[in-house]
Amino acid sequence: MIDVRENILARLVAIVGTMPSIKQVFRNYVDLTEDQLPAAAVLDGDEDTDDVADKSMRPPERPTLTTMTPEIVIFKLAPQVGPDISMLRRELIKLVLYDTELNEQIVKTGRYGNGAIRYLGCQTDLGWERSMFGALKLNFHFKYALRPADL
Amino acid sequence: MIDYSALLFDPVYAELGVPATLIAAGTAGQIELTVIDDTRSKIQTANGVEVRSVGPGAFARIPELTAKGIARADYANAAITFNGRTWAVRSYDVRGSPNGEDLGEVRFLLMANE
Repeated sequence: MIDVRENILARLVAIVGTMPSIKQVFRNYVDLTEDQLPAAAVLDGDEDTDDVADKSMRPPERPTLTTMTPEIVIFKLAPQVGPDISMLRRELIKLVLYDTELNEQIVKTGRYGNGAIRYLGCQTDLGWERSMFGALKLNFHFKYALRPADL
Repeated sequence: MIDYSALLFDPVYAELGVPATLIAAGTAGQIELTVIDDTRSKIQTANGVEVRSVGPGAFARIPELTAKGIARADYANAAITFNGRTWAVRSYDVRGSPNGEDLGEVRFLLMANE
């Protein structure tokens, strides 16, 4: 069984876990406490194909190109939270885009190695708790082959 | 006219209040006052993820502050210590009173010093 989507998400959790300034990494977990911060959450993203526009007679079990848009959210409490989450953003973008396993072993799964990783952008969220609260959500786009026979 | 300070705030502070010290920039050192600890649980939600913490706060009587030389302009960034913790005043709410806002309470919105 090869589930590229799951492999990508598991690898993202592992990548975020290498960041020394992140205390804990969660996946699809939505209830944190302040003592767990700085933390990150990998949120499974939507998955899409372009097959709705495919008018061919291609057999349904043939591979198709798929895209997934997972999100990674970073949380931090600090008096000056802006520079801190900016630094985490820089670290995380580089780690994901340069990761050898994602690039060579997971994403480029198509017959012609035609997968891709893209950084789409980020959104911030601010508030007050014991100190200033900052969250930064980074959006990534992964393109890979979905092979029904491998599932 | 009912004296809310004498009949309401002072008895409440006598029961629920705790001793505090406040140091405000530009004033003469540290003052002693009575505050009511109003630290509450606080949940911040970002992208569907809830992060639980506290929203530290404290009530104080404006007449007590004024009598001890602390004007409203001195509230921001003052250091306040009570119940074993020291906080910085990041903002405040004037709570008002039927006797006028200057005879009511202020709620200090606090933040951790580090």
